[in-house]
Amino acid sequence: MLPEEVTLLMQAVEAMLFVADEPMPASQFVLAWEEAFGTTITEADVEAAVAALNAAYEATGRVFRIYTWAGGYRLATIPSVHALLQAYKKEQKKLTRSLLETLAIIAYRQPITKAEIDHLRGVDTAHALHRLQELDLIQVVGRSDTIGRPLLYGTTQRFLDHFGLSSLQELPPLPSLETLTTDPLVRKEQIRALLDGLDSENSGTL
Amino acid sequence: MFCVRLATFEGPLDLLLYFIRRDELDLYDIPIARIADEFLAYVRLMEELDLDGVSDFLYMAAVLLEIKARWLLPRPVPVDAELPNTQEDPRQELVDRLLIYLQYKAAAERLASYAEARAHHYTRGQAVAPAEAVSVEPVPLAPASVSDLAEALEALLARRTVIPVHAVRRDVYSVEAQQRYVIERLREADRWSFRDLTQGHSRGWIIATFLAVLELARLGQLRIEIGEGIEDFSIAAVESDVYAS
Repeated sequence: MLPEEVTLLMQAVEAMLFVADEPMPASQFVLAWEEAFGTTITEADVEAAVAALNAAYEATGRVFRIYTWAGGYRLATIPSVHALLQAYKKEQKKLTRSLLETLAIIAYRQPITKAEIDHLRGVDTAHALHRLQELDLIQVVGRSDTIGRPLLYGTTQRFLDHFGLSSLQELPPLPSLETLTTDPLVRKEQIRALLDGLDSENSGTL
Repeated sequence: MFCVRLATFEGPLDLLLYFIRRDELDLYDIPIARIADEFLAYVRLMEELDLDGVSDFLYMAAVLLEIKARWLLPRPVPVDAELPNTQEDPRQELVDRLLIYLQYKAAAERLASYAEARAHHYTRGQAVAPAEAVSVEPVPLAPASVSDLAEALEALLARRTVIPVHAVRRDVYSVEAQQRYVIERLREADRWSFRDLTQGHSRGWIIATFLAVLELARLGQLRIEIGEGIEDFSIAAVESDVYAS
């Protein structure tokens, strides 16, 4: 690629990501480029332009970076200006504990039925499922082949974006309890640590 | 003496974990009889207070009692003391469930930290569209309790202006007809005081209208608003676009 072409591509990527409302996959950018200019570029070109832009932002002290979330590129600010922006923007509501727990189960066990989630949490999760669907964090992904053909739930693209994950493979590994060690004493300590780690909200008095 | 913060337990598994943590119990050696009794005491209290979600707790109470019963049964002594005791511990299934639950609780905490880190990055216009859209809750159709409404109705009936005439004549009012009446009046004005709406009508008519208002509120076709005093309440037309979906 000629230097002018590289500059043009960087400008194009920057402009696209500036107006995009959600993470934009490289493939989508390639299609838009072809439609606009009638020439062909590859996803590798886009990737190179993104890397060049990030390097330029960093070298010139800009607050922008292009992150890879939900399988696409997203232009966002760096954490160091967070406090300032928070003072200006309304803070987004945090998910409640029961929503988070339900979401975690779905994220790691998807596709999963409501009955399985209910069993894992020991409570009826109808409300949580409804709310998570409203928030577009989960969706119905199909039906199980078991009796009654219950709905199967899975996470959405928005879920990945919300947690800053590029794909489901990036989910942190599920904390393992039994497999970590076979020494019962160490295991006991780990369980204790897990129990103590639970949010202090949970410490009711009885 | 109980001093309980009930709302802190999401479900029966949380309550069990709370007992285990509070008494520093060994998860692999839960004193099942004691925990089952304590759990039951808690469930009875929930029932007394008529709290929601008791059924989830009742199911777990049954599970605990079943384990307790099996625990109390004499277990066959292993024929050969040298062999490891292969007899299954009746508590095993519960322990496994608690462990898996703990695992997902820990995963949820970790996810929360991811969301926290992600929230430190701002995208253009983020707070405008999606963030607002998810947090907006529809205006409650009746931000008043049933007893508020009942009191208001009672007050209205007490102050009705038509003196009952003691000639027996059956007045028949239908809620459907009153619904049509209320909707028509709401076309004239967006907001009506229930008192003005029913001024000068008989008791039966007012009651039918009251039921019509409740039905319309349930259908989302009007909104009930209660002010400071409970002598009266207002009904307001609902902007059709808000509840169209």
